[in-house]
Amino acid sequence: MSPPRLTGALRSFSTVSKKEDFTEQLYDLKSKRLKRRELFAKEGLTWQKIVHFCTEHQDKVKQQAELKSLLHSAKQIVGTDQGQEAIESAAVFLFETFHNKDHVGTEETRAIKQMFGPFPSSAAEASCSSVARLVAPLGDSHVEDFIQTQSSRHNTHRGSSFGRNIAFSYECYTLDPLEDLPYSGLNEEDMNLDF
Amino acid sequence: MACARVPLDEQQVTEPGPLGKEHTLPALHPARKEERCFVPYKSPPEDGSPAEVEEFLEHAKFITEDLEWLLALPHDKFWCQVVFDESLQKCLDSYLHQAPRGLDLASLPSSPAVADMQRSIHRAVFLTFLRMATHKESKENFITPAVFGEIIYENFLFDIPKILDLCVLFGKGNGQLLHKMIENIFTQQPSYYSDLDETVPTVLQVFDTILNKCGLQCEGATAMEPMKLNAHKQPTAMTMSQQELVDLILYLCDSTTTIHAFLDIFPAACTSFHSHGFLGRLTLFYETAVPDLEKAVRKRNFDDKSLQDDLWKRLSHSCRKMVEMTHLLLNHACLQPILEGGENTMSFAEELLQHFTSFLPEKRFLSDYDEQFPIADDISLLQQALPVIDETRTSYLLQGVESAWDSVGRRKPQSQIHPK
Repeated sequence: MSPPRLTGALRSFSTVSKKEDFTEQLYDLKSKRLKRRELFAKEGLTWQKIVHFCTEHQDKVKQQAELKSLLHSAKQIVGTDQGQEAIESAAVFLFETFHNKDHVGTEETRAIKQMFGPFPSSAAEASCSSVARLVAPLGDSHVEDFIQTQSSRHNTHRGSSFGRNIAFSYECYTLDPLEDLPYSGLNEEDMNLDF
Repeated sequence: MACARVPLDEQQVTEPGPLGKEHTLPALHPARKEERCFVPYKSPPEDGSPAEVEEFLEHAKFITEDLEWLLALPHDKFWCQVVFDESLQKCLDSYLHQAPRGLDLASLPSSPAVADMQRSIHRAVFLTFLRMATHKESKENFITPAVFGEIIYENFLFDIPKILDLCVLFGKGNGQLLHKMIENIFTQQPSYYSDLDETVPTVLQVFDTILNKCGLQCEGATAMEPMKLNAHKQPTAMTMSQQELVDLILYLCDSTTTIHAFLDIFPAACTSFHSHGFLGRLTLFYETAVPDLEKAVRKRNFDDKSLQDDLWKRLSHSCRKMVEMTHLLLNHACLQPILEGGENTMSFAEELLQHFTSFLPEKRFLSDYDEQFPIADDISLLQQALPVIDETRTSYLLQGVESAWDSVGRRKPQSQIHPK
């Protein structure tokens, strides 16, 4: 809980701000994750494109087995009650996440949890291995180029973001007392000298 | 994409509608808002378990990602989001409410990952407010100033409590940028001056509340009421619960730091504070409340000595801020116009002398003020600018300052003692 603040009092007792219930939450983490999945699905890279890319000049049988395995892991992560579209989209996310990773690290775990909520770690391990086997015969730069060109997320011009050149200071106000607590004087007025 | 060299508020765009058919609509239109679902901010866990830390990091990552996305949007899309996305405004508001201030008891994040994430949000929130306070981003991307003023005011993108929060959260190292932002907001929408005028009495009420909680008489409405027969039973700073005392000092510390930050960053606000007799109320509050609160912190029995030490520092910090606020107000209202040498220099000098004279009965305040901002220096400045100033009056004033030091049993710092 935040400590008592002047601006809290001003919001409650003055008429210059919008009266809002700050305990009311428009979106919880669950609906936020759903929205993220929805937005991710619109980013351009699709399961069909991945299938085509992985099987085009490769051993189709072997690659298809790995793709199937990746879909299976995706189903465990996204939830078995989800439709084919949601499972394929999750598989795309896992492909993007693990295409240049050899193990499931903290960042990857966090990214998957942010997208799908709690998930079985065995499914993440299995998907990481599947992706590694899928991309092994393709070459790192080839895979990287494929993702860069297909996904709109990688095409946004980060450099054009507002405020990128602004020198921002993280400094904050700290206590600046006039004097320290005078310990020598503590309780001295309480002394009763009985002459 | 919207057309160039026309203000955003006058632009029309043609783009595919929900059914895929092209349609033309104003560039600033709710239909152009993206469904993004911004989540509200929650402050970092104080002594968080790994699960709490994880939850914070996950939550915070959503916010940084969303704000970075927002900042990367083109000008027209940014404003559609800002004006029409309620979840974005709630997210920004929650940050202003919940973000830890540098002065909070537990302001240091528990882990480096939390600290890094907090820094990322901090910057992204500031840049978002900065963009929201900018009506002209480039030659092509701008909003008609009057319309900009209306948009920010009618949609509560900025209000006085938010501006105060921005000052206390970001003002320490970003004062110049904040000054430009706030100046632009007030210039394009003068209604903020009326809002500020309405807010000052509530600010004064905060000081009255503190006095009341300490069982001390105060000026204003409450002082006019007859005293209840059981009034003597009201708790004082010595008798209230320890938690109440802690809350009271935290409140005072936050209030004085916030007001000071605001006046320091946006001195034009001094006029509103001044017109409500803020100086008189502040000095009276200082004289009445500070000795009582100091006594309570020194004499009460604290099991936790570090809490006692911390409370003392907060109280002493609050004193410094009140003294500095007084100086800011005097500087803006009287000293600055005198030094600028305009037409009414004499009346400003008269007002300054009147203020100093009104401080004479507030001996504790006067000695603390004089220690930080020697009154003799201001008098000397005054005499140089206006040689006609009545010397008997200034001598009386300076004697009053000396007597204030004597009556509070303190000695002036050596550096301030000038040979006669």
